[in-house]
Amino acid sequence: MTAPSAQTITTPTVRTRRGTRAPLALRGVGIVLAVAFAFPGLYVVWRNISTGADPIGMLGTSRTLAPLGRTLQLAVLVSAASAAIGTALAWLTTRTDVPLRRLWRMLLPIPLVFPTFIGAAAFIRTLNPGGLANDLLDGIGIERTFELRGLFGAWLVLTLFTYPYVYLPVAARLQRLAGSLEESARVLGDTAGQTFRRIVLPQITSAILAGTLLVFLYTISDFGAVQLMRYDTLTRAINTNYLARPSVAFALSLLLLVLAVAVVIGERAVTRSTPQAGSARSTRVVQYRLGAWRWPAAALVVLVASLAVGAPLVAMLDWAGDGIIRATRDGRPLTVDADKVFEAARHTLESSVLAALAAVAAVLPIALLVGRYRSRSGSFSHAIVIGSFALPGILIALALRFWTLRSGFAGELFADSKALLIFAYVVRFGSLAMGITLVAVQSVPDRFHDVGATLGAGRLRRFRTIDLPLMTPGLLAAVGLVLLSTMKELPISLLIAPIGYQTLTTRIFSSFEESFVAEAGIMAVVLVAMSGVLSWLLVLRRAEHR
Amino acid sequence: MTRPLSSMRLLALALVIATFAAACGSSDTPEPLEGVAADIYSGDCSELDGRQVTIYSGRSENLMDPVLSAFECETGIETAVRYDSATNLALTLAEEGDRTSADVFLSNSPGPIGFLDQRNLLGEIEPDVLALVDDQNRSGDGRWVGFSGRKRVAVYNIDSVSVDELPESVFELTDQEWRDRVAIPGTNGSFLDWFTVFRAQEGDAVATQWLNDMVANGAKFYANNRSIVDAVGRGEIDLGLVNHYYNYQEAAAIGEDHRALNHDLAGDDIGSLLIITAATVVENADNSAEAHELIRYLLSEPVQRYYTEETFEYPLAAGVQPADILPPLNASGTATIDFDSLGGGLEASLEIIEASGIANQ
Repeated sequence: MTAPSAQTITTPTVRTRRGTRAPLALRGVGIVLAVAFAFPGLYVVWRNISTGADPIGMLGTSRTLAPLGRTLQLAVLVSAASAAIGTALAWLTTRTDVPLRRLWRMLLPIPLVFPTFIGAAAFIRTLNPGGLANDLLDGIGIERTFELRGLFGAWLVLTLFTYPYVYLPVAARLQRLAGSLEESARVLGDTAGQTFRRIVLPQITSAILAGTLLVFLYTISDFGAVQLMRYDTLTRAINTNYLARPSVAFALSLLLLVLAVAVVIGERAVTRSTPQAGSARSTRVVQYRLGAWRWPAAALVVLVASLAVGAPLVAMLDWAGDGIIRATRDGRPLTVDADKVFEAARHTLESSVLAALAAVAAVLPIALLVGRYRSRSGSFSHAIVIGSFALPGILIALALRFWTLRSGFAGELFADSKALLIFAYVVRFGSLAMGITLVAVQSVPDRFHDVGATLGAGRLRRFRTIDLPLMTPGLLAAVGLVLLSTMKELPISLLIAPIGYQTLTTRIFSSFEESFVAEAGIMAVVLVAMSGVLSWLLVLRRAEHR
Repeated sequence: MTRPLSSMRLLALALVIATFAAACGSSDTPEPLEGVAADIYSGDCSELDGRQVTIYSGRSENLMDPVLSAFECETGIETAVRYDSATNLALTLAEEGDRTSADVFLSNSPGPIGFLDQRNLLGEIEPDVLALVDDQNRSGDGRWVGFSGRKRVAVYNIDSVSVDELPESVFELTDQEWRDRVAIPGTNGSFLDWFTVFRAQEGDAVATQWLNDMVANGAKFYANNRSIVDAVGRGEIDLGLVNHYYNYQEAAAIGEDHRALNHDLAGDDIGSLLIITAATVVENADNSAEAHELIRYLLSEPVQRYYTEETFEYPLAAGVQPADILPPLNASGTATIDFDSLGGGLEASLEIIEASGIANQ
């Protein structure tokens, strides 16, 4: 990687092919994908009808409004914090001389892989009264009674779990921003801060917005963290009502879905009105020297990494270690052995890699429709894909059971197959790939296509030789997001996987819920280690090639 | 252009690894039993004879695997199991209806069974299997049979609660003395079941009053039994109302750092209720004979002994005595659950629990 192979090109706005209609085949694929992604939503609507639910009537009651208000409050706070932290970390680790950048880039995506039910419990184990941090502070004579719970607890834990949704796309974008404008600004006397605000921020806004949208949707769909942090939101109300009052549960789910779609449409409107700053690939990215700020910046990165990755990991290691020591000293034997852990790890790896690749492949056509052709049907599909992220995984699992058993031949063919599992993962997490893929598509300037077309390259050839190389960092970030998220997925893995197909996360869940904390700890550590390796392969290895 | 190419190569490599890993999956050859499963059955294994049974298990793999290994080895019937929470499995069964592949559904709390029974999704269990347990541990209409019990207890922190202040009854916990010190697993399934029986036995007025008083006395909501036992063990809260089972598991894994013990309330107090984990046969099960054979096996002496010696539960059949480590069940007053009254009762219980405001404590 020496001589730049493409000229650095930056224009304030990039023309999209507003006048050009998308190829028919692409539009067809877009519609088919929209239908595939819509089925959980359709299921929720159908169940509202079949159980005689009354979502509109329920909206007026304080029993609905109070948890709804708490859900919104939490989602706004988590979104704001994640946007700020994710963007700051992305800039620091890709553009500055903050120490140990490569280490942080490997560690910072890891929180994506903590299943919330054990991740939140691990936070509690480490940070709450009587926990491990407390023991440490006790040792040096500090008495502490701080307790992680309620709005603050849920906000902190969810922020630490979700900032990678912003961090990954923004870091991918920053690595590809052309340096010329920034250099000019610096030469003309702007400080690093001014350059960031005037030159960099406008170019990464769409990536930040796309990531923040995911944070928002994840937060409103989360059950594990709010339950353990004892903060009563809409998902908790949904969960307690499934058995006793199904119609209430489905009505509340529909409200969640409507809220999600409204937010998605809002985000599209904001993103459309901000000019799309596009840029070609650049081989030279401006690096800033932080000077006196180097150590405060390092402190911020260390703080986030040690809270987000360190705190839960300490508890998991403690559970695992205690259990192993106890088992070797004539205590209770462990109920997992190396074979079982290995088998579960293999299943986790195989299903998440397949799901990640399939998810990116599935959202790419929609991203092309929206990003290149501004197609109306594309925007519709886009809203459906992203909106489904707000639906709790259990509803996607139930919806799949419902539809496959009513679709005759196709149902027979796919019931209890790995293909069905991968499909369910793609529906659950396609949204994660959508935003980044869209940003990647938009970063390919039209004039490259014009040049390609003039030179006689066909559509597919242009896609392969122009788009794909330019989009690669974005697509890899998308693969990484889906990969790490699939590794921790629980409800779908439990209900849709072929019978007997256990992943690490399902085994962790089985063990943890019955208080087999040692077994859960061991497998959680294996899960985190695996995600570290994958994160290294996807994020760091690329950086070394730079 | 080497960089994009190498990234693509990386992806291809990942795909190859995944496929390879999938291809070289371990095969299940019958091996002699080892470990805990060998305590249940130590004889030679029969060949799997083509018969099979599909189980939806709300009890975790850790608790079921040794039993099912022994069952396969001894009977030659192959088992296929889907594990999840009993609630999620019940919801799935309701969606699948008569097209489900499940033959047996195991639940560790009564609510999901009531839910399925209401929808006529449970088949009748044969009388000779039902007869293996006492009347009080099976349903009147033969839809479910209990196979182990978990007792409600008060788990307390041994550093912040002295033995002489421990309560005899849940009704004492509304006293000033317990202000802000008690944890309740608010909307958790087993609490919901317990509260429903509470209402049935003491009447709605008394039960509602008790819960409202608890909330007024600063009782704290926790997600589930496990998180309460964890919090009490750390000293975050002094005492919690839970199933007896979890504290034994937590102590077995963590040891003396876990500062909590179970306390049995008086035998006739509602706080000493025995909650039954139960087995059911799914309506129109494809493998009904094998399903019955499995349930019979769960109620056999070696399995009952395993459940009490290894997982610290109360055995319900075959004359097996509870493990020495467990406090004896108080025969005179121990209430068992009348599941059949639970199905429709859950809804009203949830109304009362929601109205009490415990969920936001």
